[in-house]
Amino acid sequence: MVFSFFTRKAIDMIEFTNVDKVYPNKVKALENINLKIEKGEFVAVIGLSGAGKSTLIRCINRMHDITSGSLVVDGTNVGKLKGKEIRNFRKKIGMIFQSFNLITRTTVIKNVLVSFVPQLSFWRKMTGIFSKEHKLQALTALDQVGILEKAYIRVDQLSGGQQQRVALARTLAQNPTILLADEPIASLDPVTSKQVMDDFKRINQEMDMTVLLNIHHVEVALEYADRIIGVREGQIVYDGSANEVTDEVLDYIYKGKIGEVKQEMYKEGAYV
Amino acid sequence: MNAIEKQLYAKPSKNSYIYVISAVLLGLMIWSLFVIDFGSMEESGWAIAKNILLGIVTPDLDFLLDFTTQGVMYLLVETIAIAFLGTILGAMLAIPFAFLSASNVVPKPVAFITRLLLIFIRTVPSLVYGLMFVRVAGQGPFTGVLTIALISIGMLAKLFVDAIEDLDTSIFESMTSIGCTTFEKIRFGIVPQLIAIFLSIGIYRFDMNLREASILGLVGAGGIGAPLIFAMNAYRWNEVGSILIGLVILILIVELWSNYMRNKLVRG
Amino acid sequence: MFDKIFPPKQVVLPNGKTVSEKRSRTPLIFVTVLIAVYLSIRFTNFEFSLLAKRGHEFFAIINEMIPPKWEYLPHLWQPLLDTIMMSILGSVLGSLVAVPIAYLAASNIVKNKVIVMVARIFLSILRTMPTLVSALIATFIFGLGTLAGTIAIFLFTLAYVGKLLYEQIENASMGAFEAMESIGITRIQAFRYAIFPQVLPNYLSTSLFCFEGNVRYAAILGYVGAGGIGLLLDEGLGWRDYASVGMILLMLAITVFLIETVSEYFRKKLI
Repeated sequence: MVFSFFTRKAIDMIEFTNVDKVYPNKVKALENINLKIEKGEFVAVIGLSGAGKSTLIRCINRMHDITSGSLVVDGTNVGKLKGKEIRNFRKKIGMIFQSFNLITRTTVIKNVLVSFVPQLSFWRKMTGIFSKEHKLQALTALDQVGILEKAYIRVDQLSGGQQQRVALARTLAQNPTILLADEPIASLDPVTSKQVMDDFKRINQEMDMTVLLNIHHVEVALEYADRIIGVREGQIVYDGSANEVTDEVLDYIYKGKIGEVKQEMYKEGAYV
Repeated sequence: MNAIEKQLYAKPSKNSYIYVISAVLLGLMIWSLFVIDFGSMEESGWAIAKNILLGIVTPDLDFLLDFTTQGVMYLLVETIAIAFLGTILGAMLAIPFAFLSASNVVPKPVAFITRLLLIFIRTVPSLVYGLMFVRVAGQGPFTGVLTIALISIGMLAKLFVDAIEDLDTSIFESMTSIGCTTFEKIRFGIVPQLIAIFLSIGIYRFDMNLREASILGLVGAGGIGAPLIFAMNAYRWNEVGSILIGLVILILIVELWSNYMRNKLVRG
Repeated sequence: MFDKIFPPKQVVLPNGKTVSEKRSRTPLIFVTVLIAVYLSIRFTNFEFSLLAKRGHEFFAIINEMIPPKWEYLPHLWQPLLDTIMMSILGSVLGSLVAVPIAYLAASNIVKNKVIVMVARIFLSILRTMPTLVSALIATFIFGLGTLAGTIAIFLFTLAYVGKLLYEQIENASMGAFEAMESIGITRIQAFRYAIFPQVLPNYLSTSLFCFEGNVRYAAILGYVGAGGIGLLLDEGLGWRDYASVGMILLMLAITVFLIETVSEYFRKKLI
């Protein structure tokens, strides 16, 4: 234990240096972002809708381009990548979305197998036949999120929480170094939200995977994340431990609307 | 006028539509009574009706269960073959038409002209195509296949376009984040979605085509239609009975199968 | 059945857990379809070479249809009117008669299982009979002419509307019906006041939709002598007078388009 404490040196996974992001319609989405995230951290990004949470996360795997500054992810300078390099880089980064983004008319395992598609040989791509190793990896990923027995069932027969777990398994099968999640529980009810968040926490701890998620529900963020990043109007206005977040801090991040945000969540019934 | 009377006159407007439609229909119906020619009914009609009923009740069982090229069973199989091959050919031809008429794929004028062409293809009765193809390929089941293929294109293309426009493209976002190319997105994101829907549409059309194929024989395009009309013209009502029984049973079975399969494909 | 012939494969994960993978049905379906295609080609004497050699004939016929023979137009009005009238009369009568039959076929209204079964089988058989075949039979019974065509359309409408109507009746909410029955109103009256208003818009819409289709069907009934424009089509094609056929088809397309547009307008208003 002591030994591991000493060897566990902080490794920078994500480093934003003076990053700006301006959309083509001149809207400034991110402004002077400086941020360092280390391996194994569990980070939640909070803020009002439109504050730039989603943009921040999507820059990391180059779903959005940054306008200026530098962004280094796992030793790769993301801004400099081109074409095929971007696709190869993305393979290392898993991403989960609010709307699950699954092919509902086919089986669970086929959805998970999608994550191996970029590695397939030409004839496997044409026929859609996957190797046994890939199938085993996909099943193992399903086992990690606890829905192994659903492997051969069509996705449209699963509940919302189970579908988000399929998406999670698909991401795990990629064997990523970083897990990004864009509002992963926004369309789930409180009970399944908790299950999915527990999955994230477990993956973070057991596999020492960096997890970065943006989330609408402040209470959930405070409960699960080690570190909170508050975004307001494209700038980072809070960056620190989750236990140090005070009501004043929240009030500042949410421009004094924290009461409304909480009330809205009560109404949605998504309050955990 | 008190409140109750006001309420009485404030009826929802939907009813007035129903009244208008009913009145128009009634008027047209009365008019049509003068146009339809009721004088042609002959005395012998009742005798024939009785004979047809007798024929259906006492079908020619040997003929019904005959598997040689002259029997009902063979003719039914031939009808199925015409409908099946016609559906497959029609589905293959419909795919390019579907893309040509999808306004989010090709320029608007091209899509519009293709749609117009498809509407026209659908309006022409199948029998007319049958008669035209008889001129091209002669009498026989091959003509039936060509006819069925052509009449299927219109509806299949339209349903295919609807399916393409209804595609769930959210999967693209995830596949982009995994690092997939455009080809991979189509192959593993779109094709699996479309296969189920296209199959279900194809089965539905096969069900319809079987009915079409059974009448195309009347113009010499193969299948069970021609023997039916021969038997009727020769007043061999037992044979007519056998053919009708075979046809009705076949169509009912295919309809049940088609409903079951489509339910399974769409709902899983 | 399938799982018995090809038992599920047991997959063992590296961590020792097993999961049973059902065999994919895709290969079996693929092979079946291939065999079916092969057999169908044999059965139908499918010859691609013939199509390649004589396929242009088809377009030659279409070429002759354009431009259509406008002088032929005056001859068309009467048969076209006959066709439309056959459709209207057959559709209206069929939709009306469909109501009592659908009543008898609705299992939530009629409790006698035998009556329900008989009504449903009657509707199924009628629906399976291709319109042209019933028209053919009708010409034998009622003689050549529009009456036979009207009967054929009547029978098809009855079967089509009847089936959809009894399904709608079975899906209607039964609360009001039961309440009326409990205060001593007869079943038929309770149906009239509790169920019928619920299904009325859908019923009218279905009937209109069926009418649209009937115009297309009616156009070919003349081929078997059941009146309407089909007789002219047959004659035109028989004499290879393709320019006249083109004129008929053009008029038919216009008529169908107009009827569909009007009917669609009313159907949208109804639902």
